[in-house]
Amino acid sequence: MSSESAVNLAIRCYPGWWRERYGEEVRAISGDLTADGRSPAIVALNLLHGAVRARSRAEGMPKIYELWSTRTRISIAAATLPWMLVAPFVLMAMGTQSLHSTKGYVFFSGSGFTMTHLQIAGAPPTPAPPLTPAGSVVPFASLAVGVLFLVTLAVLASGWTGLTGAIRRSAMPHRRRVWLLAWAPGFALLADVALVVAEVLLRPNGYRSTGGGPMVPIGGHPLAAHVLGTVLAVVAIGGWLASIVCVAVAAKRADVALSDLRFGKSVSIATTALFALMLTAYLAWGIGLLVQARQASQGTFTTISYSHQDLWFPIVVLITSAVVLSGFSSRAARRSWIVLSNDIS
Amino acid sequence: MVLTSLSGGPKHGYAVIKDIETMSGVTFGPGTLYGVLARLEEEGLVEALPSEDHRRPYRLTGAGATVLRERLEANVKVANIGFRRLGALGA
Repeated sequence: MSSESAVNLAIRCYPGWWRERYGEEVRAISGDLTADGRSPAIVALNLLHGAVRARSRAEGMPKIYELWSTRTRISIAAATLPWMLVAPFVLMAMGTQSLHSTKGYVFFSGSGFTMTHLQIAGAPPTPAPPLTPAGSVVPFASLAVGVLFLVTLAVLASGWTGLTGAIRRSAMPHRRRVWLLAWAPGFALLADVALVVAEVLLRPNGYRSTGGGPMVPIGGHPLAAHVLGTVLAVVAIGGWLASIVCVAVAAKRADVALSDLRFGKSVSIATTALFALMLTAYLAWGIGLLVQARQASQGTFTTISYSHQDLWFPIVVLITSAVVLSGFSSRAARRSWIVLSNDIS
Repeated sequence: MVLTSLSGGPKHGYAVIKDIETMSGVTFGPGTLYGVLARLEEEGLVEALPSEDHRRPYRLTGAGATVLRERLEANVKVANIGFRRLGALGA
């Protein structure tokens, strides 16, 4: 890549208003600096850093309603969509729970969080040793992650209905197209439900033993059900990712009223706060599991484990990055909305 | 530093970068400089003049001169205290 194209590429990373205002002179000055012996790569990197700052801080952005409205909408999307991308991983990366002691597999009565009456499996069952202090925190942290997931999902669902309603009420051109884009999560969900129903209907009614041979399905269409199961997984994951992209595009294009932006801004702040709490609960869950191992080595205890707990650290890195992005974006949404409501409207 | 550079008269971006380099030894990149210029323009401390061959000169405004004077006076005050204390140490 030539020095000129590296600089041009870096300049293209700036927002449109900035390129319009400063683009030509920055291109000319970058040319002067490289002709003067400055490394083109360093100049391009400095411009990239400047582009990130210009996008995140919007310093010098003209006080034009459309510009600040778009910035608010993009910030709201950037504050909420990382949760959509990351949160399902958090639940999947916990996996299924099991209890063990040195004497064998442990089961319990009572709820999965209080875990009363721990017993060692056998005939008859015998009382099991207690959970370690750290281990007894883990089920509550797991519950907190699940509850926060559902609460955030409800907050985002209200934000999404707010977005689709705002698009319906707006008078922008191509309103129907943007509204359909915003409805992508609904269409993806409908497709998932339809595939699940079809797969259930095509499943065999039961299986017949052939005397030591393989089990033979009775009725239904086993091959079609198997194919549909694979299609369902592809559609579920593809639809989920496509929904995130479509909602982001719809949010960028949806020229909605100031009151709707205010609601979106509140949703983004609530999402960031709930996301940070979810990270805290997930941290507590993983730390509880780590400390439990040390406490269990110092006595006779029942230990709790999860099928995918080894993924804890990479997921912590992923979720922390997403929370930071969400936090910066919701702050940008709030600031942009303040500029919109105080200085422009 | 950008305000100090422009206090010597209107300059375009390249001249500001070179002036700061000579004045303080600090090397500004174009991304850094134009981030600062955008903020100073927004605050009304500098203003752009008509473009000369894609290189727009900038000049200090009255408000910019006032802010620069206040900041320089504060820096001089801190520097004087520092020098007095160093003198008391005999350094």
